[in-house]
Amino acid sequence: MLEIENLHVSVAGKKILDGLSLSVPAGQVAAIMGPNGSGKSTLSYVIAGRADYDVTEGSIRLGGVDLLDKTAAERAALGLFLVFQYPLEIPGVATMTFLKAALNAQRKMRDEAEMAIPDFMKRVREAAARLNIPQDMLKRPVNLGFSGGEKKRMEILQMALLEPRFAILDELDSGLDIDALRICADGVNALRSKERSLLVITHYQRLLDYIVPDVVHVMSEGKIVRSGGPELALELEKSGYADYASEAA
Amino acid sequence: MGAPLKNPTQAEQDFLREFALLLDKAPGDAAERQAAFDRFARAGLPSRRVESWHYSDLRVKLRQASPLAEPPDHVSLDYARAELEKVAAPGALKLVSIDGFFAPDLSDDFSRVAGVEIRPLAALSNDRATLALQADDPLLDLNGAFSPGGLTIEIAAGISLEKPIEIVALCGANGGRSRFSRVHVVLGEGARASLIETRAEGFGGFGDSALLLSLGKAAELDYACRSRDSATVDVQTCVVSLEAGARLCATALVAGAAFLRRQLFVTCAGEKAELHLSAASMLTGQEHADITLVVTHQAPACLSRETFKFVLAEQAEGVFQGKIVVPPQAQKTDGKMVCRGLLLSDDASLQAKPELEIFADDVACGHGAACGKLDANQLFYMESRGIPRPEAQAILIQAFAAEAFDILRDESLRDLLNADLAALLQTGAFA
Repeated sequence: MLEIENLHVSVAGKKILDGLSLSVPAGQVAAIMGPNGSGKSTLSYVIAGRADYDVTEGSIRLGGVDLLDKTAAERAALGLFLVFQYPLEIPGVATMTFLKAALNAQRKMRDEAEMAIPDFMKRVREAAARLNIPQDMLKRPVNLGFSGGEKKRMEILQMALLEPRFAILDELDSGLDIDALRICADGVNALRSKERSLLVITHYQRLLDYIVPDVVHVMSEGKIVRSGGPELALELEKSGYADYASEAA
Repeated sequence: MGAPLKNPTQAEQDFLREFALLLDKAPGDAAERQAAFDRFARAGLPSRRVESWHYSDLRVKLRQASPLAEPPDHVSLDYARAELEKVAAPGALKLVSIDGFFAPDLSDDFSRVAGVEIRPLAALSNDRATLALQADDPLLDLNGAFSPGGLTIEIAAGISLEKPIEIVALCGANGGRSRFSRVHVVLGEGARASLIETRAEGFGGFGDSALLLSLGKAAELDYACRSRDSATVDVQTCVVSLEAGARLCATALVAGAAFLRRQLFVTCAGEKAELHLSAASMLTGQEHADITLVVTHQAPACLSRETFKFVLAEQAEGVFQGKIVVPPQAQKTDGKMVCRGLLLSDDASLQAKPELEIFADDVACGHGAACGKLDANQLFYMESRGIPRPEAQAILIQAFAAEAFDILRDESLRDLLNADLAALLQTGAFA
């Protein structure tokens, strides 16, 4: 599903990703773990299509389609979704309006008809109920004044609504207490399927107790330095990242 | 002929000549017109040396005065009728003017609307004089000298109007004229109404319009100005007086402003009057809009809130001058004024000059002004959800500007302005 080959990325002249290669087949849940500054968030932004990164070499393909010459919105319409580590607040834009604009913009790019409003409302309400999101939150401006947990639940709601085939979860656990983490993880697990792949980016093993990955990749200094099964996460929890930092250096 | 013009510009000489021709045939009190013209002549067209006109140098901008507009003929009437179809708000009671002349043929029949009376303004010349005296401005004087009659809309005490009244100002088929218009809206004690002012006069020339609003005790008015398109040089003056306990919520959506000065002079004349003022100015190309307001708290315990938004693309220039005046007797005044600019290009500019003049010691007044760009993080967030950048920008701009309309209590007016704004953004002028 997602194929990254020899990716080199710089920001303001500083190299962040240094020949990273990664393959995530359909239906797989892959975790990427790594220390601060290893380039995990950069990787998620570059895949999603943020403009201020300079890709100097390599390729990213989703379902065989080259993503690098696509805008962020086009990538979303191709089925890519990023759960933000820090979801943005958008004052003055009601959550419902935002959700409808996103869904219909994607459908339009895929040459699909706009979703009828009653169908849309029904889907949003059902998804919101599963995530313990009260209806009045949907009337408020996007994420404005929401708690950390509410913002993350709103991310998962968007994911459920937009039904991406590839989702990147960038530090889903940051800012979440145990109860909120469980609700979000349950929401994500409900979306696991043979056709959908997930890339779970995290510092800590804890999140992977709730979203159990098929594979774990360790990232250090801009590339994947080791890959293994879920047990690799437990090992890292004990030994830390020190070995990998020195290895890469 | 009265006062001397010192070193008159071509435009001032043109006005002098036109006024001499007009005086004999104009309706109303000739002496009053002459006095208004004399006051204008003493001041002359304001230049940048006049502090309150510093950022909109009319003396330079108005090189010559276009010929005075004539009453509309049938060609103009047909032209305006077609325009009216395009711009009129649905469901409102319309009062239409063409080049400043009231056009009964295009207007609704008010004779069956209970509690509303439409009269020629001349019949209320005393009121007009009283109200206009509160605003000392040469362009208001020029309007007084030249405006062809004008209208008074009187809403009787205790009346609550169901439908909004819409004043529609259109151009005739001959562009490039000097147009003057004057409307006085009077609300009796406890009356409630919604007023829409739709201005679509972007057919060259010069415009100088005046809207006078008198709110009686505890009267309530929602007022939405849609300045869609204005003359090459355009001055809109709004003079407001609020009696005790009256409430005015007044906003404007300004677009298509080649060179516009929109000035508001508000007097809170009675205790506990409440004023909510705002505007969203959407400017692009070489457009220039100057929003100037003076709010005077004559009486104690009045409240005023001012929120002014500017969205500026390309080389557009926005000007905001807001002054809140609190004389010694106006204790317990509560005034807050905010101006916010969204700059979409490096060449756009906003001059913001908020001022407080406070002579009372027990008041709560404040002001703020800020300028910024669209937030790149918000844009990326929306794009990552599949919303293409132009659409994401439009959503953010709409959210920014539409905040100005939140002050309206009449939802139908708010919806109207939001729809106007959305249509404007859809044109791609701010993409």
